Amino acid sequence: MKNEISLQTRRQFLRTTMLGSALSWTVPAFLAETFNALHAQAADAATQFATGKDSTILVVLQMAGGNDGINTVVPYSSDYYRQARPHLGLTAEQVLKVNGDIGFHSALTGFKDLYDAGRLSVIQGVGYPNPNRSHFRSTEIWQTASDEDKIEKYGWLGRYFDNACAGSDPAVGVTIGSQLPEAFFARQPRGIVFNNPQNYRFLSGAHPRPGETDLTEDSYKKLNELEMSNPQPDDNSGGSIGSLPAGMPMQGGRAVDFITRTAMDAQMSSEEVRAIAARVKNQAVFPASQLGNSLGLVSKLIGGGLPTRVYYVSQGGYDTHTNQVGTQQRLLQDLGDSLKSFVADLQAQGNLSRVLVMTFSEFGRRVAENASGGTDHGAAAPVFVIGDRVKAGLLGRYPSLAPADLYEGDIRYNVDFRSVYAAVLEDWLKTPSAPILGRQFTPLKVV
Amino acid sequence: MNRAGFGGSPAEITRLVGLGPDPAVASLLDYELIPDPTPNPDWAHPDPERMQREQDVRKSGTPEARRQLQMEENQSIQRSMIELRGWWLRRMAYGPRPFQEKMVLFWHGHFATSMDKVRDPYYMWRQNELFRRLATGNWELLLLEAGQDPAMLIWLDQAQSRKAHPNENFAREVMELFSLGEGHYTEHDITEAARAFTGWSLDRLSQQYVYRPFIHDDGEKVVLGRRGDLNGADVIAQIVAQPQAARFITAKLWNYFAGEMPSPELNTALAGVFRESGNTFKPFLRVMFRSAEFYDASLIRNQVKSPVQWLVGSVRMLECELPPPLVSMGMLRQLGQDLFAPPNVKGWDGGITWITTNTLLTRYNDAQSLVRGTVPNLSAADLARKAGGQGGQVAAHIAQSLRMGGVDPDKILTPTERANKNELVAALERRLLQAPLSGDQEDILNQFLAPRPQLNHDDILNVIRLVMSTPEYQVA
Repeated sequence: MKNEISLQTRRQFLRTTMLGSALSWTVPAFLAETFNALHAQAADAATQFATGKDSTILVVLQMAGGNDGINTVVPYSSDYYRQARPHLGLTAEQVLKVNGDIGFHSALTGFKDLYDAGRLSVIQGVGYPNPNRSHFRSTEIWQTASDEDKIEKYGWLGRYFDNACAGSDPAVGVTIGSQLPEAFFARQPRGIVFNNPQNYRFLSGAHPRPGETDLTEDSYKKLNELEMSNPQPDDNSGGSIGSLPAGMPMQGGRAVDFITRTAMDAQMSSEEVRAIAARVKNQAVFPASQLGNSLGLVSKLIGGGLPTRVYYVSQGGYDTHTNQVGTQQRLLQDLGDSLKSFVADLQAQGNLSRVLVMTFSEFGRRVAENASGGTDHGAAAPVFVIGDRVKAGLLGRYPSLAPADLYEGDIRYNVDFRSVYAAVLEDWLKTPSAPILGRQFTPLKVV
Repeated sequence: MNRAGFGGSPAEITRLVGLGPDPAVASLLDYELIPDPTPNPDWAHPDPERMQREQDVRKSGTPEARRQLQMEENQSIQRSMIELRGWWLRRMAYGPRPFQEKMVLFWHGHFATSMDKVRDPYYMWRQNELFRRLATGNWELLLLEAGQDPAMLIWLDQAQSRKAHPNENFAREVMELFSLGEGHYTEHDITEAARAFTGWSLDRLSQQYVYRPFIHDDGEKVVLGRRGDLNGADVIAQIVAQPQAARFITAKLWNYFAGEMPSPELNTALAGVFRESGNTFKPFLRVMFRSAEFYDASLIRNQVKSPVQWLVGSVRMLECELPPPLVSMGMLRQLGQDLFAPPNVKGWDGGITWITTNTLLTRYNDAQSLVRGTVPNLSAADLARKAGGQGGQVAAHIAQSLRMGGVDPDKILTPTERANKNELVAALERRLLQAPLSGDQEDILNQFLAPRPQLNHDDILNVIRLVMSTPEYQVA
């Protein structure tokens, strides 16, 4: 460790140099797994390394809190709807009509435009059996693609990374935010997280002259590298953190090993992310909202060629137990406008055909409104898929709102969310879905 | 000390170790014996005029005037909330009862209530004081009082629940998140409990809990096997009577202090102790802190510090000043733990989820801010907005309020430690890590200092920052 090694060298070092070396020193367990995966990959010359630079890209947009799907894609002609929603119900005049029965919430002008342009697919009534009405449990089910009665340790995208992207760049998964979503939890935690690219760096505080090494930064890098020169006693015999209540499960590693790995990911990605964010300009105008900023940034990173397969952004605030009208209006306006800008920006870049957006919310809301001007936790809801290669229009059928057809006051799902995931994995990310989702779900024809 | 408090200087640790195990634990747990003269914020009292002001805002003539009044109200709320965060952080960092504050932080994460919805600093302070008052008391009493406290009545919509349409939010979360956990109740228990909780309401004029019999559903309900005209207190009592209630809360406390969930066997033992202690926390915690399991080698230095632990602990170990409230708040927000604004009802996930590429770099950079006394890289516009003001005068005020102390090497290091490189590194390891770094890492620090024949303060501050910029510093 005498010379400063460049980012590219580091990457090469991680990806290739270690392939040749026997694991004679003791490395943390998850790293050993990484190397083993690399060995396996190198052995199988047929396996192509997905860099993301020209591959398809998935953008997952979480609408956190449980969006009221019934007032998003509105069955405005239904008598049952009007009866269940005497105050919150939207009339034919208050929706953006798609057909004689269904219309978008009036704030979704962005969605209506995308829909008319053939770029929006509305999958109706998406859910799962025995719906759980807890935010956390239902979010967990969506994030891990688990059955309602099973706890999965890893997220569905984490399992995608484990299965299909072993040994890839840490930036294969990018979350705009401060926390890693559960969907990214993986056997080998992977993915980078940041809010603001400008602050995504180590600030040494030193001002070296050109050509001079910044000793502080250099030392920070070395202090945060795995030690490979000295054999050390096995750190993993100690105990496991496999049972953190909500945090990511760890495969028999110590917390320090995980942090070291994260530090290396941060080092490797920070220069690249900042360079792209500074160099690439948005060509569309995004709403001045958190979601607008996030999608604007994702568009820049795509334009700049970050080797990412999955981006994750979120928008919160959908838990409208009270005073739903104003809140949902504001959120849906932001959602539609931000996504419309995102599509326009990608189109201007020439990258639109590579990108697919999928939204989800942990559940819809109860058919009947409550007495507080809001709605309580419900079950099935629509999922939106956006791109210029989607099967546009209304997919599936609108679940019945007839009281006799409801399950504990909620509409019944008619599309399992995992058949949407299966479609995204197989038809978009081009990877078999069964190993990731645990069994074969029939992919919905959406792309 | 790191676990049961917020860390301390070598001198404080030596003093505690000198007491012996039982007195050391007692000196932390029996905090009632230590006077705490911290004064309350001067706005921390009911404000009956607030209702009137809110009405004025709604009624007053022009839209511009309404906006103006609304803006002033928002700014006043923001200022008080910044002050409240500073008030609490000071209690953690300098107060005489660190263990009590550590418990208040636990309860804040447990009953995770956010200012974003409650929107009243008085209510947030009041809930914080409730956690302080009942920090190590009886579980049933705490559940009941926390449920009836105004912040919770608003946060989980109980104040809006009516007999005709019971709102299930509180009924669900009190079982799922606060006491039993998913899978230990049925959907039916929730709808029935929601009926029982009707009547719990908030009097917005006196700003206190009020029971309103005319919105209470006094029909028969069955909750967790108990049948009758149950009210909210009956439901809480029935919850605490479940064996699962003791398992749930003791597992969560063990995780908070020990850094990982207990094994099922250990959880059974912990729940047993808790039951024998009459579902009261103090005696349970005393046993827990004296148990051999708590000092198991696998737990040592394997808990990721929470952002609050990181910030307050750093200030205590470096014997420097806490950054001004606005700066502390900005740091904690970027690190993922904005006090009084948890991300959702579940609170902070904790553990290794505190660490992302982003938060780790931010910790390393905030270390520089603490050590040097410089304001971290927060956007000025954001700060100004949070401070609730605009214009030059406010900017000057902000600049004033952002003055930070930084670390004084003369205060925390002896002349020999300041002059001798090996002794310096060893002293910093003792103070900041309570354990040595690896030989490689020590070599890196020595190489960093190698070009310096004579160490000056600048070099020492750089080394302190580098020790704080290691994976090892992020765990306790």
